[in-house]
Amino acid sequence: MSTVPVTTPVETDIEPPVSLWRDAWYRLRRNRLAVFGLIVVIILAFTAAFGPYLTPHDFLSQDLGARNLAPSMSHLFGTDDLGRDVFSRVVYGTRTAFLVAVVVTFIAVLIGVTLGAMAGFFGGLLDRIVMWLTDMTMSIPNLLLVVVINASLKSPIASWMESRYLATLNPIYRETVWVDFLLVFGSMALISWPPYARLVRAQVLSIRSRPYITAAQALGLTNRLILMRYVVPNALGPLIVAVSAGLGTAMVLESAFSFLGVGVNPPTPSWGNMISDGLRVWQHYPHLLAAPAAILGLASVAFSFLGDGLNDALNPRGAK
Amino acid sequence: MMMANDFRPEPATNTGERLLDVKGLTIEIDTRRGPATVVDGIDLHVDKGETLGIVGESGCGKSLTMLSLMRLLPNKIKVTKGEANFAGRDLQKLSNAELRKVRGGEVGFIFQDPMTSLNPVMRIGQQLAEPLIYHRGMTKAQARKRAGELLRLVGIPGPDERLDAYPHELSGGMRQRVMIAIGLACNPQLLIADEPTTALDVTIQAQIVDLVKELRDKLGMSVVWITHDLALIAGLVDRINVLYAGTVVEDAPVDALFANPSHPYTQGLLASIPKLTDERSARLSSIGGTPPEPGRRPKGCPFAPRCPLVEQICRDRVPSLEGIGQAGAHRVACFVAQRKLEAA
Repeated sequence: MSTVPVTTPVETDIEPPVSLWRDAWYRLRRNRLAVFGLIVVIILAFTAAFGPYLTPHDFLSQDLGARNLAPSMSHLFGTDDLGRDVFSRVVYGTRTAFLVAVVVTFIAVLIGVTLGAMAGFFGGLLDRIVMWLTDMTMSIPNLLLVVVINASLKSPIASWMESRYLATLNPIYRETVWVDFLLVFGSMALISWPPYARLVRAQVLSIRSRPYITAAQALGLTNRLILMRYVVPNALGPLIVAVSAGLGTAMVLESAFSFLGVGVNPPTPSWGNMISDGLRVWQHYPHLLAAPAAILGLASVAFSFLGDGLNDALNPRGAK
Repeated sequence: MMMANDFRPEPATNTGERLLDVKGLTIEIDTRRGPATVVDGIDLHVDKGETLGIVGESGCGKSLTMLSLMRLLPNKIKVTKGEANFAGRDLQKLSNAELRKVRGGEVGFIFQDPMTSLNPVMRIGQQLAEPLIYHRGMTKAQARKRAGELLRLVGIPGPDERLDAYPHELSGGMRQRVMIAIGLACNPQLLIADEPTTALDVTIQAQIVDLVKELRDKLGMSVVWITHDLALIAGLVDRINVLYAGTVVEDAPVDALFANPSHPYTQGLLASIPKLTDERSARLSSIGGTPPEPGRRPKGCPFAPRCPLVEQICRDRVPSLEGIGQAGAHRVACFVAQRKLEAA
């Protein structure tokens, strides 16, 4: 029988177990496309937050002596038909796109998670009502609904604001930009929440029957507490994936609506209305179309890469 | 142990005072073919400081009965009759808010599967602190300190570091200890353990039984231990109720039950426990047949179709629990056993 050499140091450090999130982060980092998406998203977010302080020109100032200039060092993406710097407008457009995407997704997730979680957790009549609502909303063509809302509400609100201004002379009624945004946020959130509600409901239905929920009930915790601390956190993985993909979708949606003229109104720069403007003159000035379209494409691709990467990272069983 | 003073110092002795008194509790499942009775007018009671073992095969209504006490039954299963008095209140009639105070605050639960009974995304310290903050109004810091003490109490090494662990970082036995700690967090008067060792391996099972025994003696609470393993709880419980098809068929002090099992079902259960002294070639004995389906209960004694001693009366009438032996402490619901005693 051999003897164990007593001098051999015994490895006593056991590697600390990794948490779900650290493990997911590790897998995400090894996915090149996801890392690319993440980097682009971070750059875009940074641009949206601080871009206006970095651009060389103001996005509104017109220089009629310098119209439709080709890209150059002083105007990176050239200038448009009013002599405005396209680069600055794209940067501001990023801000619009992010603002709309984040706010719309936030509202949609808030509505979707609340309704979906309650429907799944409590079941019964509440569940049926919520599912009716979701199915009903999903059955209406998105674009049509937003067009109808914007087309029918915009002018009455504008004229109401005008009359309020004339009656009160309060300058707050002259500021129409935020009404514009409010309509866009509202109508887009209205069509965006059902997928979140369905996703969360399905998650909650499976989580609800897990033993730790019964255990939490046996501890005498309130339903609200159980929902917030036990059910929703366990449903978070798929939700994060959906949100990441949803942000990209919301950006594209905003551009689509602005392109159609029912989104953000000029002069507020939006990729969509820049594309729409550029489309009319692209044979002569292709850069006016190319710049906003390329950025929109990049943003959309980046979000979907990131979403896919997160999906693989958070659901390791589905990944290769 | 240094924190022993935090707990109620009463010794665990049976004072004869009823803590839990269940009368005629009937539970039905809604099926497509109509309601089916799973628990049929069950009577059981637990005295202060007493440990009751509930034994029976799968599907006999052990867990449902205990879950129904706390109104934790799944959607389609309902209590249709009977009452469950706990410390003088009918649990079935409490408001939801009152019931929540009883859950966790006065009655602790330990569940079967420690692997899935802890919230996987919450650190165990938080899960322990939750009932303390909610029921006892502790601050987060107080609750965390107490959570550490509880982990030490249930014998988890390095308790203060373990507070920040997630459930998946602990072994099954450790998780069951955490479950016990959570169940005991608010010093409940009654601890209901629903097959807490079924998912654990044999050596850990014994540790958990010993732990509960030790804690019961230290904290002076009553315990209801549900199991299908008679041998496991022989050293733990004071009294055993044998359940069959949703009724108590035998109720006896643990010694009396092992010395003189009177119901043919109990006899069958005991005979099916393998013994070291058995012939190696001997086959394990088993009870032929299966329990009645909830929707198709026989008219008479539910055990009659499987009973080796069955008589005509058993098929016609349902026997009630009648005292046999001294002072009625040993009761059995079997015509044959009751008559045998009268004759003796």
